[in-house]
Amino acid sequence: VKADTDFSQIEKFKADLDRCTKCGFCMSVCPVYREERIESAVARGKIMLIRSLLEGDVTLTDEMARQLNKCTLCLTCAQNCPASTQVPTVITAARAEKAARRGISFPYNFIYRWLLPRRRLFGYIVRLASWFQGIFLPRTEGTVRHLSFFLSALGKGRHIPQIAPKFLRQSVPEINLPTSGVPTRFTVGYFTGCMTDFVFPELGKKIISFLTKNGVAVIVPRAQGCCGAPVFLGSGDFVTGRRFADVNVRAFHDVDYIITDCATCASAMKDYAKYLADNSERQRDYQEFGVRIKDITEFLVDILKLPSSAYHIADEFRRKTVTWHDPCHLCRYLGVKEQPRQILKSLPDIKYVEMSGADRCCGMAGTFSINFYDTSRRIADRKVADIIAAQADVVVTGCPGCEIQLIDGLARHGSKVQVRHIMELFE
Amino acid sequence: MIDSGIIEQLKHIVGRENILTSHEDMVAYSFDATNTWSHLPDVVVLPSATAQVSEVLELASREKIPVTPRGGGTNVSGGSIAIHGGIVLCTTRMDRIIDINKTNLNATVEPGVILQDFQEALARQGLFFPPDPQSFAGCTMGGVVAENSGGPSCLKYGVTKQYILGLEVVLADGRILKLGGLTPKNRTGYELMMLFAGSEGTLGIITRISLRLLPAPQAEQTIVAVFSDVAVAGQTVTDIIASSVLPSKAEFIDNWTFEKFRGLLPDAVLDSSQVILLIQVDGLRETVAAETQHVVTLCREKAAGVRVAQDKAEADRYWQARRSHFSDISSRAHTIVNEDVSVPRDKIAEFIHLSQDSARRYDVPISFAGHVGDGNFHPVVLTDNRDKDHYARALKCVDDIIGIALDLGGVLSGEHGIGLEKQRFLKRAMDPQALEVMKQIKDVLDPLHILNPGKIWEEDGK
Repeated sequence: VKADTDFSQIEKFKADLDRCTKCGFCMSVCPVYREERIESAVARGKIMLIRSLLEGDVTLTDEMARQLNKCTLCLTCAQNCPASTQVPTVITAARAEKAARRGISFPYNFIYRWLLPRRRLFGYIVRLASWFQGIFLPRTEGTVRHLSFFLSALGKGRHIPQIAPKFLRQSVPEINLPTSGVPTRFTVGYFTGCMTDFVFPELGKKIISFLTKNGVAVIVPRAQGCCGAPVFLGSGDFVTGRRFADVNVRAFHDVDYIITDCATCASAMKDYAKYLADNSERQRDYQEFGVRIKDITEFLVDILKLPSSAYHIADEFRRKTVTWHDPCHLCRYLGVKEQPRQILKSLPDIKYVEMSGADRCCGMAGTFSINFYDTSRRIADRKVADIIAAQADVVVTGCPGCEIQLIDGLARHGSKVQVRHIMELFE
Repeated sequence: MIDSGIIEQLKHIVGRENILTSHEDMVAYSFDATNTWSHLPDVVVLPSATAQVSEVLELASREKIPVTPRGGGTNVSGGSIAIHGGIVLCTTRMDRIIDINKTNLNATVEPGVILQDFQEALARQGLFFPPDPQSFAGCTMGGVVAENSGGPSCLKYGVTKQYILGLEVVLADGRILKLGGLTPKNRTGYELMMLFAGSEGTLGIITRISLRLLPAPQAEQTIVAVFSDVAVAGQTVTDIIASSVLPSKAEFIDNWTFEKFRGLLPDAVLDSSQVILLIQVDGLRETVAAETQHVVTLCREKAAGVRVAQDKAEADRYWQARRSHFSDISSRAHTIVNEDVSVPRDKIAEFIHLSQDSARRYDVPISFAGHVGDGNFHPVVLTDNRDKDHYARALKCVDDIIGIALDLGGVLSGEHGIGLEKQRFLKRAMDPQALEVMKQIKDVLDPLHILNPGKIWEEDGK
């Protein structure tokens, strides 16, 4: 347990803490403040609380932890800050100070420390939960279902897609070579992420098939684990997070690039070096690992440089109107904003429309949506209104976490708009 | 401390979810955008309707509890610090835009609407509310009125009070006043509304605001001119206005904060210059083209470099650079003292030179930025309040600067207001008879002095 006066994690980012002038530029753009309208919800209020923590005026109470957790880490404040204060960095560090002293509460401690690293067991428990959901709770229409068991903690009654009957890594080989006759241009590792593995395995299969058809050998390392985002970003458990980081760095050590279909996984893994490196060796390894991580659209547009003729729209999306939702972790953390639009705009068989506020946070943010489901839902309501106003048939995005939030939000409003990952558009 | 019985009554009035009492929340409400003032309130109340505000004030009057009104809390005068504790009455949850009427060019809003949200809603209908305090992304409409806010656009369009048509105000004893109306002309009795424009929350709580609007200008253009001499820059603005072109904005940034302009203007020009003028003209497209040409010609006579923004993106970068002046300068020192004097336009150069002399005398760094078009300056003295000697010299320099501005026929505060930050200068800056009448008005409207106590004038015994 750390001493009460040792705030080494926060001190690491002291420059950001000092930079804020409390001008309030974060207020009109913060998705949480927009709903709650109280100081502790917004970046500048949290900065003041963390400064007070360092000065001893507040301590790491449950209430303080609640305030620190009440942030989607969407980074919009930093983008609009005239002083470029990286508030989410400071908040994550403060969460780590709390975790180092007070630990993580049940059931998260159990899930993060014990269950998540046991990949296969985690999958089975998730599946078990999916059986229970059908028995104890009414099924909703279409592909969405109410989950029960510990996923109800994750869900709190929200509409969640059914858990896949067969997980991705049980369905595909570890090594997927390019289609015969197509020369190998790159060898990439595919980081599948929990959502694609357990909930959206068809997306994973599509990505592997798309890449192999275009001359990319796709390795799906069996040893890969969870990216750790809910563990070290959401809960500040840097010790467990470091274990996850080491596992993933080892699993992907000999590929050109690490491809993800999940913006949150990608940016969390790029952040290993920033938060989790505790010695020079890890610093070097994490950094070297981080630069090879590419979002799938970034890889297709910037590295593979595919012509528009390489994209074939699946029949069900032909002649549909499609709009794009920017995941925070994609547009602000990874700076990938134009690549998906470039792909979508180049497709002759769909009509692309830009929705208003496409880069506004959807309010999912993992554990945030569990702890503050009501606020999370209200943030989503604004997003849903923008999607409906865009008059699109399909909203596509680049993060399965956002997908789940959008499915829930649109279902609650009785909307028929479909939610898809951008790579699901293609055959 | 407020006893728990009062807290229960407050919960009864506004609902449990609209009351904050945790120590952490009190810390979050203990500050505003100033950097020297802070004080914990006892409770934060977030009403959602006028009737609730009225009941809260009735209770506060009965129990003699101080009430500090607050909106976004972005002011730079200490105005929303609960310096005597008690209740912070925060209006951010009264955030409806009630009506925007394009035909009659007016709008009615609740006090908690964020200025930027209001501006965006107006822009969608081709309308415009000119006052643009640089806290627009966080400040709320109630504060805009209570501080009588201004900003760069006020050179051409005036400050908030020129746009107020009607107000609903709750007095300290809970009485609800409806003032003014919706018409641009209204000569019915005293202009009581104007008492509340700039009242800094000491006379009543503004719960509904009707504002005059303008049609949005069809086009605008930004011109940047770099000068090697402050006085010449000031004179150039005077020349432009004298030639019958009134820019919508004319802003001034000194070479302390040129960094953000690197890559936008040649290094050689920036390195040899002292100030940048940012000028914006607006109106019909033809007018904007002609006025731009006119401004460029006048600037070229004396400037080291002149550039017209090629598109909106380039113009936005210049204005963002201007907006980040305060944070840029803040990052250069542990403590900064930011002033807000306003001097007649023909005294700008003299004011800057005398202020620079004073800074040299006290051996403290000083930077200037501001709304050069209307003579409203923000001299910033860079210091460190942990270094007693340096900080004392900085404060003396600030005293000096305020004296210089007043001697030149200027005023203590152009747009920030008095609050806590400037009250030690008030006696010097105001006619004693006027100050006396102001206090008498306070006694009539808030006889128990529960509303924003400790603000504007120094309390007895100090």
